[in-house]
Amino acid sequence: MMDLSAVFQEAFFGSLTSVWNIAKVVMPLMIVIQVAKDYRLLDYLSRFMKPATNFLGMSRESGFPLMVGLAFGLSFGAGVIVQSAKEGNLSKKDLILLSAFLASCHAVVEDTLIFVAVGANGWILLSARLLTAIVATFLLSKRLKHLTHDDATQLQRENLKQPVS
Amino acid sequence: MLIQSIKQGTRKGLETTFLLGKIIVPVYFFVTFLSHTPAIDWIARLAEPLMRLFNLPGEAAIILVMGNLLNLYAAIGAIQAISLTSSEILVIALMLSFSHALFVETAVVKQLQVSGLKVVALRLTLMVLAGLIYGTLMGGVLG
Repeated sequence: MMDLSAVFQEAFFGSLTSVWNIAKVVMPLMIVIQVAKDYRLLDYLSRFMKPATNFLGMSRESGFPLMVGLAFGLSFGAGVIVQSAKEGNLSKKDLILLSAFLASCHAVVEDTLIFVAVGANGWILLSARLLTAIVATFLLSKRLKHLTHDDATQLQRENLKQPVS
Repeated sequence: MLIQSIKQGTRKGLETTFLLGKIIVPVYFFVTFLSHTPAIDWIARLAEPLMRLFNLPGEAAIILVMGNLLNLYAAIGAIQAISLTSSEILVIALMLSFSHALFVETAVVKQLQVSGLKVVALRLTLMVLAGLIYGTLMGGVLG
């Protein structure tokens, strides 16, 4: 039988550590993003990502959350997406496509290196994963054609009803 | 203006940390308790016969089950405990890169107002496809 108090301790300290690890990245990340946004640097970045977001059927505003998720991981990507959605910059279609892409492909550096450490070829792994996520998201965006980006304002309204957490 | 931006960024950072923490802590507890139950072994034993589809030995099931239910680090631990060829490791790595840590990551994705079930279905489909395609390639042409 398992030692309940030892398991509880493991879960308690483990979860605190993982929240602390998130805070260590999220706090500076959000400050940098806010500064970049206020000084209009994010616009340049979105323009740079435009060919990619266009191809995937997403609005321009999805470019930045996409990059954050790819580089830092799903939780951080989701954090940025939630903030953008609150500001009403993302449509329902964006949210679906971003979720599909980032769920299958995120934290590409960390996740790839984990497997390189046990002897897998990182380049094959990374390119297969990226390519598959791109194809899957592209196909999904074709199926979601009926969804336009016009519902962004409605989504914002829905979000505003919820208390800010 | 800079101070204002930093203040607002800090507030959003706290908000986001709190939002993610609220989701991750309970799921982390659940997953930790799960890892100490025999459930993982049972599921792995059920999945063993399926491994042939991916040209993997039956023992590889525990790696895929741990990776999907717990996290990638647990899967890596299991990879090291089982002797596998390098092409088998690549097949497992490809499969797990699409689908891993499903409890924690699905809880996070659900914050984006999408169906968790659909996201899991997509990831598992990609995992199985990757296993079928690369398992066949590695076992046949490239192996």
